[in-house]
Amino acid sequence: MKDSSTEKTQDIDWQQLKRRMAASSAAIKRALEPSDEDIKRILKARAQALAKEPLAPDDPLDDLEFVEFRLANERYGFELRHVREVGPLQSLTPLPCTPAFVLGVINLRGEIVSVIDLKKFFDLPEQGLTDLNKVIVLQSAEMTFGVLADRILGIGRVPLNRIQLSLPTLTGIREAYLKGVTPQRTVIVDAGKLLDSKDLIVHQQVGG
Amino acid sequence: MRWYLNLSTRGKLGIGFGLMGILFTVVIMTAFSGLTSIKSAQRSLYRQEFANARDFLVLRSNLNGIHASLLGMIVETQDSKMDYWLQDIKQRGEVIGEITQRLQQRNRNDARLVDQLQELYQLGEAFILARDDDIIKMIYAGQTEAAKGIIFGIQNERKEKMRALAKEMGDNAIGKAQEAMLASEQRVAHVVNFIVAIGLASIALGLLTVQLLNRVIAVPLTAASAIAAQIATGDLTVKIPEEKRSDEVGMLMNAFAAIGDLLKDLRRLMLEIKQAADMLSTSSAEILATTTQVASGAAETASAVSETTATVEEVKQTAQVASQKARLVSERAKKSTQATQDGRRSVDTAVDGMRSIEEQMAVIAESIVRLSEQSQAIGEIISTVNELAEQSNLLAVNAAIEAAKVSEYGKGFAVVAQEIKSLAEQSKHATAQVRSLLSDIQKATNAAVLAAEQGNKSVQAGVKQSLATGQSIRQLADNIGDAAQAAAQIAASSQQQMVGMDQVALAMENIKQATIQNMSGTKQAEIAAKGLHELGLKLQQLVAGYKV
Repeated sequence: MKDSSTEKTQDIDWQQLKRRMAASSAAIKRALEPSDEDIKRILKARAQALAKEPLAPDDPLDDLEFVEFRLANERYGFELRHVREVGPLQSLTPLPCTPAFVLGVINLRGEIVSVIDLKKFFDLPEQGLTDLNKVIVLQSAEMTFGVLADRILGIGRVPLNRIQLSLPTLTGIREAYLKGVTPQRTVIVDAGKLLDSKDLIVHQQVGG
Repeated sequence: MRWYLNLSTRGKLGIGFGLMGILFTVVIMTAFSGLTSIKSAQRSLYRQEFANARDFLVLRSNLNGIHASLLGMIVETQDSKMDYWLQDIKQRGEVIGEITQRLQQRNRNDARLVDQLQELYQLGEAFILARDDDIIKMIYAGQTEAAKGIIFGIQNERKEKMRALAKEMGDNAIGKAQEAMLASEQRVAHVVNFIVAIGLASIALGLLTVQLLNRVIAVPLTAASAIAAQIATGDLTVKIPEEKRSDEVGMLMNAFAAIGDLLKDLRRLMLEIKQAADMLSTSSAEILATTTQVASGAAETASAVSETTATVEEVKQTAQVASQKARLVSERAKKSTQATQDGRRSVDTAVDGMRSIEEQMAVIAESIVRLSEQSQAIGEIISTVNELAEQSNLLAVNAAIEAAKVSEYGKGFAVVAQEIKSLAEQSKHATAQVRSLLSDIQKATNAAVLAAEQGNKSVQAGVKQSLATGQSIRQLADNIGDAAQAAAQIAASSQQQMVGMDQVALAMENIKQATIQNMSGTKQAEIAAKGLHELGLKLQQLVAGYKV
């Protein structure tokens, strides 16, 4: 053991080590303090990207815009017109005497909004709450509530004629609220139907 | 009869022979008394009757003699011749007197005879008186005729009377003697009869006794002797009959019963002897085999001894070499001591070096830990950046939503929002990369700390090891010193060994002699074992002669 350690010590090339250290230090310095050329290059690339004429949609009326989000390893989407805003899930207050899919209420800039869990509503597999969990606030003329999402993926756009209307993996209540599936396999949930749904109206009474 | 059986043999014989003895005593006494009476009868016959008869005969002849002499005197003319006759007459007269006296003396108990003798005596007196006073004087006077007349007259008458009387008495005496003889013969016959009767009785009793003794003693003794003979032939299975008698035969039978017990023991003994003989036979065979092996072993020993002798010579030479080598070793040991001192100094230096390595290791570990803490701070910063990116993302989405609400007018804004979102995504990716790098750095620093710790431990172990090495070298030095001493001793020992080897050679010679003796002894043992084997076989045969 003593002999082998001695051999290892002999094997170390201290010069090379020092060279490597110097190289890494230089790299760090360069990254932290980009040279003028680098700055120029990056800004130029950005300007070109911004200056690009956005691709003209074929027909805006034929496109469906949706907020894409991830829930239990599946991607879902709400139509953009039903979405008021998205935000982080903060200070959730649980409500007693409510169905299991009602997680509680949140205070959204002074407005009290109830939050439901589509995982429970759609009987999807459980995935514990994390700090990354987000809330998507849906709004119609009559109804406003938040839907819990694992992750907000962004705004998606798909031509209406390319939406597949049924998916064999979805059954029961999920199929009832299904609008369609995009070619990217994002499940578009019918947020309007959800907002009009009587299933979500809580009129449970507790005796006493 | 029972009591007789229980009587001892001595008693039985005593009774038998006692009875016989009594009978013989009776016979002897009877014979003795008979002979004694015969003897006394004969004595009286000879002393009384025959004496009387002879005396009477002599008396008569003398009387005749006197008569003749007187006649002779008458015839004679010369006086001298007459004196001779007278002398003869006087002598004869004296004889007659003597006889008469003797007869009287002898027969004084016989009254009749005494009377007759008295008569004879008186006649004799008268005869003598007539003769002496008348006749002889007449003769001398020459009156021959007168004398003749007297002689042939009265005197002859007297003489004839006397002779008749003497003849009568002599005949009486002979008759008496004949009677006595007859009585004696009768008595003898009586005694003989008695003896014969007693003798016959004795013979009968003797036969009876013999028969009885035969039945009581001889028959059981014959049976006993038959048993004894059976035992003598070696039959140990014989049955001993039981007999309850208290005499010698009974004792003999009891003794035979004891012998029967003894026979049982003997039978068991015989069986054991038989087994022992079998064992002896097999054992002797084994001994024989062993002695053969021993003999071969002795031969091997002899060859081994010769080899050993050669080896001893070699060892002697080796000892010489060893002595030289030991001296060499001693010198080498001195040099080695110097080397160990150098080694000790080196080890001390090594220990110091190790100590400084230990300190530097601590410094390295400290640096690495600090590095680790700083990367943790970087991680926190990255977290913040990540959160910012997240919020930018949400903001971008909200911006897009707002842009969608104003539809056509917000299109450009939507693009900007999309761009912001993609920037946020890129930031997020970058932070993820930084996070994974940090994780790698953390792992590396952990590994480095571990390695430093390991190194520290190794160094400590090295220090310990070096100290131990120092100790070992010290011991080595001591040992080398000891070795040098030992080498000197070995040199001396080798010298002694050489002397010892000479002694060993001598001893080897003795062992050789002993081996030769051993071999001859083994041969004797072999012979003895053979004898033992034969003895075992003989014993088996002997035991086989007994029926068990």
